Amino acid sequence: MAYWEPIRELDEQPLVEPGSKLREVTHDIASVSERPAPRGWWICFLIALTFTGIFTVCVAYLFYRGVGVWGNTSPVYWAWDITNFVWWVGIGHAGTLISAILFIFRQKWRTAINRFAEGMTIFAVICALIFPGIHVGRPWLLFYVFPLPNQMTLWPNFKSPLLWDVFAVGTYFTVSLLFWYTGLIPDLATLRDRSLTKWRQRIYGFFALGWRGSNRHWRHYERAYLILAAISTPLVLSVHSVVSMDFATSVIPGWHTTIFPPYFVAGAIFSGFAMVETVLLIARSVFNLKRVVLMRHLELMNKFLLLTSLLVGYAYAMEFFMAWYSGNQYEMAHFLVNRPTGPYWWAWVWMVVPNCVIPQLYWFKRMRTSIPVMFVVSIFINIGMWFERFVIIVSSLNRDFLPSSWGLFRPTIIDVGVFTGTIGVFFTLFLLFMRWLPMVSMTEVKGTMPQADPHYSPKGAHPEEEDEHDPLPIIDETPMPSTGGLVPEGAE
Amino acid sequence: MKRAPNPSVPASIDAAPEFARGHVDTPPSDEALFLSRRGLLGAMAATFAVVGAEGCRRPLEKVVPYTRMPEDVIPGVPSHYATVIQRRGDALGLVVESHEGRPTKIEGNETHPSSFGGADLIAQASILELYDPERSTIPRKGGVAASWDDFEKDLAATLATFDKDQGTRLRLLMPPTVSPTILRMRAALAQRFPKARVHTWSAVADSNARAGAKIAFGEPVNTMYGFDKAGVIVALDSDFLQTESGNVRANKLFAAGRRLRSSKDSMSRLYVVESARTTTGNAADHRLRLPASAIAAYAFALAGELAKNGVPLADVQGAAAGAATGVNVPAKWLTVVAKELARNRGRALVVVGSRQPPEVHALAHAINGALGAPGATLTYASVADPDELDVATDLKALSDAIVANQVEALVILGGNPAHDAPADLGFADKLGKVATTVHASLFFDETSQKCTWHVPRAHEYESWGDAQALDGTIALQQPLIAPLYAGRSDIELLAAMANLPETSGQQAVRATTTEVLLVAHGVTGCSPFDERGDSECRGATGGPVHLHQFELDREWNRSLALGVVRRPQVPKTPTLALPAIAAAIAARKVPAPGPGAFEATFAPCAKLVDGRYANNTWLQELPDVVTKLVWDNAAILSPASAKELGVANKDLVKISAGDRSITAAVWIVPGQTDRSVALTLGWGRKQAGRIGNGRGFDVYPLRATDTLGFVAGVTVTKTGDDPYFFAQTQENNSTEGRPIAHEATLAEYKQKPDFAELDSPPPRALPLWTQADYSHGHQWGMTIDLNACTGCNACVIACMSENNVPVVGKREVWRGREMHWIRIDRYYVERAEIGATAEEPAVIFEPLMCVHCEEAPCENVCPVNATTHGPEGLNEMAYNRCIGTRYCGNNCPYKVRKFNYLNWHNDSVWKETGGLPETMAMQQNPNVTVRFRGVMEKCTYCVQRIQSAKIRAKRETREVKDGEIRTACQQTCPADAIVFGDVNDVTTKVWTSTRTDRRFGLLAELGTRPRTTYLGKVRNPNSEMA
Repeated sequence: MAYWEPIRELDEQPLVEPGSKLREVTHDIASVSERPAPRGWWICFLIALTFTGIFTVCVAYLFYRGVGVWGNTSPVYWAWDITNFVWWVGIGHAGTLISAILFIFRQKWRTAINRFAEGMTIFAVICALIFPGIHVGRPWLLFYVFPLPNQMTLWPNFKSPLLWDVFAVGTYFTVSLLFWYTGLIPDLATLRDRSLTKWRQRIYGFFALGWRGSNRHWRHYERAYLILAAISTPLVLSVHSVVSMDFATSVIPGWHTTIFPPYFVAGAIFSGFAMVETVLLIARSVFNLKRVVLMRHLELMNKFLLLTSLLVGYAYAMEFFMAWYSGNQYEMAHFLVNRPTGPYWWAWVWMVVPNCVIPQLYWFKRMRTSIPVMFVVSIFINIGMWFERFVIIVSSLNRDFLPSSWGLFRPTIIDVGVFTGTIGVFFTLFLLFMRWLPMVSMTEVKGTMPQADPHYSPKGAHPEEEDEHDPLPIIDETPMPSTGGLVPEGAE
Repeated sequence: MKRAPNPSVPASIDAAPEFARGHVDTPPSDEALFLSRRGLLGAMAATFAVVGAEGCRRPLEKVVPYTRMPEDVIPGVPSHYATVIQRRGDALGLVVESHEGRPTKIEGNETHPSSFGGADLIAQASILELYDPERSTIPRKGGVAASWDDFEKDLAATLATFDKDQGTRLRLLMPPTVSPTILRMRAALAQRFPKARVHTWSAVADSNARAGAKIAFGEPVNTMYGFDKAGVIVALDSDFLQTESGNVRANKLFAAGRRLRSSKDSMSRLYVVESARTTTGNAADHRLRLPASAIAAYAFALAGELAKNGVPLADVQGAAAGAATGVNVPAKWLTVVAKELARNRGRALVVVGSRQPPEVHALAHAINGALGAPGATLTYASVADPDELDVATDLKALSDAIVANQVEALVILGGNPAHDAPADLGFADKLGKVATTVHASLFFDETSQKCTWHVPRAHEYESWGDAQALDGTIALQQPLIAPLYAGRSDIELLAAMANLPETSGQQAVRATTTEVLLVAHGVTGCSPFDERGDSECRGATGGPVHLHQFELDREWNRSLALGVVRRPQVPKTPTLALPAIAAAIAARKVPAPGPGAFEATFAPCAKLVDGRYANNTWLQELPDVVTKLVWDNAAILSPASAKELGVANKDLVKISAGDRSITAAVWIVPGQTDRSVALTLGWGRKQAGRIGNGRGFDVYPLRATDTLGFVAGVTVTKTGDDPYFFAQTQENNSTEGRPIAHEATLAEYKQKPDFAELDSPPPRALPLWTQADYSHGHQWGMTIDLNACTGCNACVIACMSENNVPVVGKREVWRGREMHWIRIDRYYVERAEIGATAEEPAVIFEPLMCVHCEEAPCENVCPVNATTHGPEGLNEMAYNRCIGTRYCGNNCPYKVRKFNYLNWHNDSVWKETGGLPETMAMQQNPNVTVRFRGVMEKCTYCVQRIQSAKIRAKRETREVKDGEIRTACQQTCPADAIVFGDVNDVTTKVWTSTRTDRRFGLLAELGTRPRTTYLGKVRNPNSEMA
């Protein structure tokens, strides 16, 4: 039985619409960058670009006057800045998870979405990294956090979780970028080969790194990809664990919690999947990718969302239980009183309902497979997970030990501008990515198609019974995706 | 480091005659200042170019060295000069720190009897007033800039017209004064114009107390309360710890009477009857809230009750019984208080607040006399100006004279009557009816606007003067800097008007001092000094005495150095005239209350007094002791009254007394008397300056000549307008049952001396890292005695002044970004044992600054090592290294770290004028870094003081002495609540203090090991009151 074949006993479905041809896959994906952009893309892009502009203006003002233009204050020294940071880092998690872990576990269904998810990771981590960069009081001295040798022998403070963060997120970004880029190389070569203009050829050619699709190239490529996947895998767990230690190692009730590392990782995967789904649903409809992104993929993602929702819900419940069980006055006052009934009770409701209650819809197959439902639910989860970080950060800080220093955080217009601005930056980058790069991995999708099987016969589902002498079934279709036909296909 | 590069400011001021000559001959004019600014601007143009190129980097500034080095000025080594400022009926002796000719910091003068080394928040903030860029800089005629020459000519011409009728139509108006020189000048003026009259007016004065003493003793006397010697103190509407005359001294002595070194010590007991929560009421062991208008009746009833307990009051008793009508207080407040007073004969004190009518003051004198207080718990002293009249009557007399067209020229020296005169006089409009009006003042204010002439007045730190303290001690006021804005002092103006030969302030003051010294030594009839400086005089016994100029010089210099003029004190023992008191009580007239159900009380603002400090940013941003509001006053209501009126915090109410009314926003304070609305004077200024204009609510329109203290029968109605915008520094009032501010009653303390430690949870958290060894060398530490702290806020301003703490403005305070390194947490306490309920909670104050944790949570989390631990136990901030992640602020359980969210000095209250004014930068302490935007800051234990003391000790090859290093907060604290020193040295005060049984570490259960620890508060309630 061929691996691309669905296991009927498990009620599996084919990963690519049955009957799809290899050239159709190539054409569907590669031609996006060759055609004029559809109207939908332009609309999305202009909106995203507007928000990027807002972001630029707000950040320029922030640099000009200081972080005081935001609303964070004593005692809430971190508010939307770090909320956004953790939110974006969390979103960035799904990429690695889908690419690396599912790759290692040979979950072939990931092929439809892994490029997306990886792209999303990169862009989300870029958005995340913006915040530690701009939230500091003196951004022009940010290089102090790096262990740069200097004659004062002055080093960063290796005890500080914030420094661990610098390393963790930096590593994550670097590895994710390499992983993404490595996966792109064969597809970039395809785009190069299909290029009709000089500049396209040069640019795609430059980034394709001279890929010719030789066996040797493929061998190295497969090995490199596997190694990077293996390196990325622990990072899925480490990054958000380290981010959570920013909070867990502090003394503040609501932060000082040992459950944080696994809780944060679960939350990150949860929010990452939700964001992948949101973006995927948009792209699927704008670029008409229904052939590759099947309902089966979406349903699988929804099951994953349900699982992680339960994990996150468990963590919420456990925090409450431990606060009560500890008997610690400050912990109890925080979890049992301030969170559900304090000044930010509404944020707490926004955390619990979208993250724990709404995903329960996915117990029902009709809900799991309804595009409108999943779009709305994914948006809710994105919002809910933002509020989770808001609750953890702001509502822990606003009422800590001494009631005299309690205070409220009130966001300013610049807070809103920078946050919505990063969403604009994210989508700007994402839309550019969708427009100019293969947003679905042609190589890997083709690998899951029946044609990839050496024993493939186009006539039926039981190739071993078919005519094995069909001379070159593949040539009938289209050149092997990355052998790189010299005649651009778009020319036909 | 920042240095003032203004060459027009002389660097050195001393008692040297050279200075006096320069100062008088060429008063620095506004033009000179302007020119120098232009020069400066030119010089700085290049700097600005650099700043532009640097983008958001710290702006560069040039440090200009001396080209010719002045003698006695060592750059970097401050000099200290003793001086004095007038404070209502008192004078406060001060020592001013001066850096290269710039006065920067105020401290109390230990040799001065009103200070004993302490200072209050107003004294601390007065240094900023000196540098206020909005002070008047130039004389103005009819609002148009003129010169001093024009003014002198104009004034001389006007005065010349009065010579023929002896000045009948000339009037002077000035605040009551305690300056012997000013009084001498006034006498001299009276010689030139015998029929001219000097009126005195100040919105906040001790007239009632003087009138009360006059009834009781036949002459006005100052009463010096010995709060340290009293076992029982009953304060009737008296905020002696904060807003009454002599508050610093009272605070010192009161704290001394309640200091507990161990559980074997005893402490005094304070009963307070008051309408609004005051600092004194907050310190009370028993507090009775009573409308201010009912306190007199309570006093009379108490007198009757005292008589029943065998305290002889003779005729007063009968009169008091007759006057004690409508007293509605818990019976124990009469029976128990009277019993307690009677029991403590010779150890008891009754203190009456200045706004209570004279009869109550007279009655208190009678009671104190009967209780054997004189000589035991109080002494009397002569007043500086025995002829001073009741301010309201005096101002009314002037007002009537203007109406009767008897005034042709009115010279107003200081004060701001157009703004703060009683509303029924309509004084501001009457000023226009006088042909020539002259107003000398620091600011071109409401009164200046209405006058034909305005001249800038020199600040107290810019001019010569003298002042007599409550106890009669005379202190000298010497200038610390030449007038910044071409102002002249009252003394100089009066001398000019009186045509006196001594036209400079120094000559005038010196002449007065010589006179005082000669009188004190009984020397009279001196011949003029010959060229060898010899003079022949008559001694006290009538025999000839030889006097050399040198002796006077020596005494003068010594007086300047000490700050006080040494002379033998003559104790005053006035005799009580009980029948007169009885007659006054019997004849007492109570203004008929209006139809309303409420009373309104007027109290001087603890920050702005009567509005004179309205343009002071430090004071504007200082949280109110009780409400913790900043940049505003409010109409204080009790929760029950607010409910009755249907108003909540921030709602606007209209308060009407007769046909006069004001609108103010409500703030609800538990413990405020029901149906009494407390209003603070001094706010809502219209012409105070950029900082003070329109802040808060002007309550003067409600105040009339006969209702200066309070007005009964006002109506309060909700206006229904949009709620007002208030900013508060502390928004939560309760400890939430957390073990953070420990207190006990005296009985509990004796039973369980270490209650504070026992009530604190034990440290649970283990240290994360290897612990440092703190057993060697200096280890700095501090204790704060919650039992002594009255929450008076002096330390907060002292810290701002010492450490260049910026002001952020009302909106930023509302956000929570106030920068005060030390804050005073105020919690309401409900506790049955002390009779504190939700409606009438007790108060505990807990001053909090960085506690310098040995295991500091902030240090672990800083990614760049910007905050680290010093070898002497200080939690240190390296501003240069800080990038502003604010993680330390989050992880500080005490929330004492303050972040420069913006470039506060330039980008907050002074933003519109292009940044911190040049003059205000002159105030800044050159030994403390001025922090730029984006860095975290916090209390350093005044590390600059530690370092300079260590350097001094090292140069003198000795150890640092205990008490040599005093932090700014500690030094100014009038209650000596703060002790700082080396906790590693068993001989230090702080070592002893940390071994006190009441000690506890705040949040020590987190394992922070704080270096600042607290001594729990002990209250001394009377079990009979329960």
